[in-house]
Amino acid sequence: MSKTILKMKDITKDFPGVRSLDNVSFSAVSGEVLALVGENGAGKSTLMKILSGAWPHNSFSGEILIKDTLHSFTSTKDAEQAGVAIIYQELNLIPELSIAENIFLDREFTTIAGKINWNKVYSETKILLKELHLDYLDPEEKVKELSIGKQQMVEIAKALSLNAHILVLDEPTSALTETETEDLFKIIKKLKTHNVCMIYISHKIDEIKKIADKIMVLRDGKLIGKTVKASSITTNKIISKMVGRDIKEMFPRHKIKRGGKTLEVKNLSIDHPVLKGKKRVKNVSFKAYKGEILGIAGLMGSGRSELACGIFGALDGDTTGKVFLNGKKIKIDSPQAAIENGIALLTEDRKTLGLIMGQSIIHNTTISSLETVSGRWIIDKLKENDIASTLIKKLKIKTSRLDDPIDSLSGGNQQKVVIGKWLNTNPDIFIMDEPTRGIDVGAKVEIYKLMHTLLKNGVTVIMISSDLQEIMEISDRILVMHEGRIVADLSKKQATAKKIMHYATGMEKTK
Amino acid sequence: MKRFLKNNATLIALFALIIIMAILSQLKLGTYTVFLQSANLSNIILQVIEIGIMAVGMTMVILIAGIDLSVGSIMALSAVVSALLLKAGFGVVLTLLFTLSGVGILLGLWNGFWISKYKIPPFIITLGMMTIARGLAHFISNKTAIGVSNKTFNAIGGNYIGRGLSITILVLAFFAIIYLILNENKQKKKYKIDTNRYNTIGKIAALTAGISVAFYIFLGHEGIPISVVIFVTIILSGIFLLHHTKFGRRLYAIGGNEEAARLSGINIFKSKMIVFTIMTTLAALAGIISASRLGSASPNFGSLFELDAIAAVVIGGTSLTGGIGTIKGSIIGTFIIGILNNGLSLLGVSTEYQWMIKGLIIIMAVWFDVVNKRKKI
Repeated sequence: MSKTILKMKDITKDFPGVRSLDNVSFSAVSGEVLALVGENGAGKSTLMKILSGAWPHNSFSGEILIKDTLHSFTSTKDAEQAGVAIIYQELNLIPELSIAENIFLDREFTTIAGKINWNKVYSETKILLKELHLDYLDPEEKVKELSIGKQQMVEIAKALSLNAHILVLDEPTSALTETETEDLFKIIKKLKTHNVCMIYISHKIDEIKKIADKIMVLRDGKLIGKTVKASSITTNKIISKMVGRDIKEMFPRHKIKRGGKTLEVKNLSIDHPVLKGKKRVKNVSFKAYKGEILGIAGLMGSGRSELACGIFGALDGDTTGKVFLNGKKIKIDSPQAAIENGIALLTEDRKTLGLIMGQSIIHNTTISSLETVSGRWIIDKLKENDIASTLIKKLKIKTSRLDDPIDSLSGGNQQKVVIGKWLNTNPDIFIMDEPTRGIDVGAKVEIYKLMHTLLKNGVTVIMISSDLQEIMEISDRILVMHEGRIVADLSKKQATAKKIMHYATGMEKTK
Repeated sequence: MKRFLKNNATLIALFALIIIMAILSQLKLGTYTVFLQSANLSNIILQVIEIGIMAVGMTMVILIAGIDLSVGSIMALSAVVSALLLKAGFGVVLTLLFTLSGVGILLGLWNGFWISKYKIPPFIITLGMMTIARGLAHFISNKTAIGVSNKTFNAIGGNYIGRGLSITILVLAFFAIIYLILNENKQKKKYKIDTNRYNTIGKIAALTAGISVAFYIFLGHEGIPISVVIFVTIILSGIFLLHHTKFGRRLYAIGGNEEAARLSGINIFKSKMIVFTIMTTLAALAGIISASRLGSASPNFGSLFELDAIAAVVIGGTSLTGGIGTIKGSIIGTFIIGILNNGLSLLGVSTEYQWMIKGLIIIMAVWFDVVNKRKKI
């Protein structure tokens, strides 16, 4: 029984300055797995947020039809009632509650007096788990005792108990081990026989080939070609659909010659802070040179950011290995030590890790380098003002007053303030983690040009990016990470989007 | 104008409160305005010194999203320890040094250590210390008040500096501040920053008013109390520390976003240790001033003072979630509480009503603050 259950028609969604989705139309069929692939930022999550009601119906244009009925969701609750469930990358269970309590949260079976019939809650859970062949799970076990994989199973069970016909899985395997992934696939196959329509978001091509019936590719908010049968398309074809696009004037080039070796990392390993025995970065060694932009590519969760934080001394977990700066071994156990050694780290998430929201632009600019504006103790406010306004002019930050709160700036200008903050520490090594994420094109170009100025001044720039085009155009050399290891070291000439994707998805494991 | 009202809302509330109290006391107590008499005003200041001193430290603690519940008990412990030391024949200087370091610094390091090393919530650690210090105070004092009769020691909280000297100090302060204002403008010109003439005039007017009030209060009475000199010194040092040093700037950053502050290279451990130590040291100083003024030290001193200090800070506009707040605000908050206590007692309002009124005012102040901030965003 294969009939179209979901149609999304002409979905267009704008964010300030960016069109996130551009006229996307597709349909999905009961009992099939439809894979939605695309790079980070291609619009996959936005599309699914629209489907799940997280973006209410008046925030975008287009239509959602479920079983041929038009739906206008104002909340996720509406979508839930229409049979749409979404399992996010970050699981939404309450750790301290049991499996059964989580599954029937807020809709426990109660008597008229309001007393919960716990026996019924547990027995219903048992039936549900059995149906999914998850009998090995104990309904009374606390969710926090479960592995991530099992937690995901509980989420799926919960979705089904809500009578979901359409199940969205957003990067479901990003935190799973191989066996857990196999288990998940078994469940997915089982759900197909229950006639559930599944939309499977992932950028792991090998997985998609294994589990999906149909594939659609999203790039820059547009569907690329039609939805195709998974068996009729090659891996290479999928990758080129994902990344292929024309290079515009967006990426300025530089003509600076590579200088001597500056940073060298030898056998760096970083333990996972919670899971014992698991490592986030495994035995990583690399060299970086003066006057080059070293790109680090890899999928989310490949250990890129952890590597950066590890070098910067910002991680709590145990770190082993050696770091050399200009041939001298250095020991960095805190961000202070890193800054003293001339290392700067532009963190991935500027709002939670980079800026102090609610406080002024000037305070945010000088917080990492207070010694440049003060004596031993006392801050020279006028000097601070002078330095900050020079930086702001240099970085072309659009603001009227230095003591306005940082919140008043646009994303791109906020990012420039974070960069300014690090420039003022006068770094020799500048690690930038996703420096252009979520900012408009104009600001992106300015940031690239700024990198070139840094190179001219003898700084080593290391850029982590999920944007394949960016990393290929901007970097002089690219390291590709996969599951905590560096799996490739590609020169600019060698690097093609396909190659990077191959390595990043673990298709080729040779170095 | 709107900006001015918003920024000085608590100050305006304080003036409103003073006017209301003056009118009420006039109505209630007849033609003679007892409330506004310089003796009474001087008295209010003396009554708020302990809470005011602790509010300076508490501002820093709350600024880094912390809390310190132990300060009332530490105040009692410090009073008892200093009384016992004097009784045992130690000199005043040694007594002060021992008390400030042995009670103030040591217990602050203890609090700070657990909070910053093991990331245990400050609420818990200082709640524990609140009970420990109170127990210790009762233990070493044998549960009774200890008399203090050392002239030099009692002078700290009880004596006044003479009128002549008081006048000199006030006049010097007036000219010193004018010099600072003008000098700042000169510096600003050097860096080509616009100076606002009205701003400067406003500052000088406020200064003149402030010094005149000080003249009225202190010279109408017996001069400036020594403890007020200590109080003012601590306020000024606190303000200087928060707004003009790297240390202060770091506190705002930690309170605003601790993780971003850490990644900006701020040593969170060190900053927290220092803040909690400053707090308890100020609490110990408050205990010494209490014992000195009253001529005796009771283990029951400072009971619930921690809550008054917290209330003063919160009324003054410091956010309990950290990152926002000023010592100026906390001092205004302290005076709001002090004037409420004094005025209501003067009007013969019984304590149970006083408590209820105080509670309501704290809630109103925070509500006002929250609403005010929400509108801004």
